[in-house]
Amino acid sequence: MNKNGTFDNHGETEEIITRKDFGYYLSHILLGRGGRIVLLLIFTLSILIPIIYIASTSLKEPIEIRTSGALFPTGPITSINWIKAFRNVPLVRYLFNSTVVAFFSTLLVLTIAIPTTYSIIRFKTGGWFLPAWILGTYVMPPIVVSIPIFAMVKMVGLQNTLLGLLLVHTMANMPIAVWLLDSYIRAIPKELEQAAWIDGYSRWETLLRVVFPLIRPGVLATGVICLILSWNEFLFALILTYGVQSNTFPIGISRYVGEHGLQFGEMSAAALAGIVPIYLLVFLFSRNLVEGLTRGGVKG
Amino acid sequence: MNGSLEKYTPKLMVLPTFLILLIISLVPLIYVLGISFTASTIAKPFNDFVWFENYKKAFTDEIFGHSLVNTLLFAFIVTTIQTFLGFVLAFTMQRERTLSGVLRTLALLPLFTPPVAIAMIWRLIYDPNQGLLNYYLLNWGLSSTPIAFLGERTLAFPAIMLADIWQWTPFCFLLCLAALQSLPRDPYEAAMVDGASAWYVFRRLTLPMVAPQIIVIFLFRFLIALKVFDLIYMLTFGGPGNATQVASFYIYRVSFKQFQTGYGGALSILVLILISILATLLTKGREFLLSKVER
Repeated sequence: MNKNGTFDNHGETEEIITRKDFGYYLSHILLGRGGRIVLLLIFTLSILIPIIYIASTSLKEPIEIRTSGALFPTGPITSINWIKAFRNVPLVRYLFNSTVVAFFSTLLVLTIAIPTTYSIIRFKTGGWFLPAWILGTYVMPPIVVSIPIFAMVKMVGLQNTLLGLLLVHTMANMPIAVWLLDSYIRAIPKELEQAAWIDGYSRWETLLRVVFPLIRPGVLATGVICLILSWNEFLFALILTYGVQSNTFPIGISRYVGEHGLQFGEMSAAALAGIVPIYLLVFLFSRNLVEGLTRGGVKG
Repeated sequence: MNGSLEKYTPKLMVLPTFLILLIISLVPLIYVLGISFTASTIAKPFNDFVWFENYKKAFTDEIFGHSLVNTLLFAFIVTTIQTFLGFVLAFTMQRERTLSGVLRTLALLPLFTPPVAIAMIWRLIYDPNQGLLNYYLLNWGLSSTPIAFLGERTLAFPAIMLADIWQWTPFCFLLCLAALQSLPRDPYEAAMVDGASAWYVFRRLTLPMVAPQIIVIFLFRFLIALKVFDLIYMLTFGGPGNATQVASFYIYRVSFKQFQTGYGGALSILVLILISILATLLTKGREFLLSKVER
């Protein structure tokens, strides 16, 4: 292909068409309407079957669960697993703890990440080093810093508190937030801000009144993603909380697995209780989330 | 407006993040480096200075070596499968505007399901007595006895990989779809005028144009896959034996279950060094691959 985006070698093109090789048939199958529909069905079912399975298990009679692993309930459906899950485990408390931690850590993350990202992009604060440091922190496995984080949280007396976990989640999600916001802030024409400066806006005012309204979809996407990441976070919650008063949902339900004689019905109901709020958020903001993830994901 | 203060505004804007980075990466790394030269336990940090004893021990620790190999294998296998499947799906679906819209929403579900819940779902699916997989294997006559997928040395790791593939393939699909849809249209029109075959267009147009982005997706996913912890903790706890032992989980076990934080610190430093080398090599490898594709 040359610079104009056309082909130099017409002879080779014709040769390829006549010589129907494996690749030709493959692309034919993949791009035919029928092939596409089949692939689509397989993909959709692969995503949904595990989710359907846990939902159906949560509605099966405990006796049926012990004898049959069928995808759908064969016997009568029941709410006993759900009732037990909420009665035997302080599930409401876990969900409440998760909500507090996720909500406030997200608010903090956004408050700090928006000005930071703006400053990095517009004023090149920190040069190449600060963005590289942020990305490096994201790539680093959290287990590597878990001992000192544990020690620091203990030192300030915040172990086993929601505040301690919330602050750690804020810090842990900061790199992701900056990275997600980056492409949104980058897309704003510099001229808009320069006009605002000429009008006598300070830099903070420009950020709040000119930039912020324009990046609202990005802030929303980043906020929802940080909220979900905090809700799902396991390692820090595992080492920093060890009582009902501060255990979040993932830690609370992880207990089901260690115990003897797994109560699969109850476990399914408990897991779903934490999944459903996330799925509601996903459906509500799906367009935003897809945009937020893919804009940040494919920049070189 | 205070002009002199305004000059410092950009620095002020990054100050909190700077402090956070200090607290969450630099200070902890110095702490871990320091503790790695001591025989510390969780109750007695910075106990007994032992120089390089922990590092010596790490180099002869078979489980640690095994866990590193497992981590690399895990990351490489799942990332390859996820990127490949994600790309094939995205390539196939790119022209189905309405359907790919629906798929994009569905794709978010595995990605955002709490990993603990994902582990529970797969634990249930794999269960020898009550699980979905054994139920259909037995009913359809594909197996005569129930298989304990998570209890067999050879099957446990692939079983965890499958759960990870379920979780992350949709993410790769989303990124590949975005990459494909961002390609310019003009070359395709030119190719159509020339009457090029679909395969030819794919190999000579799509692949070279989209390769840089696909490689970035692969690298990004690979580096995240190295962090694997939650699924191991919930599904096998590193077992059976040490068949599914990975670096993150082994460091957790040493530091928080055996309370040897000094040794755990040394292992952490070694893992970090390894990841840094790997990240550098991969970025170099990316440049090499790109020069191959673009010709």
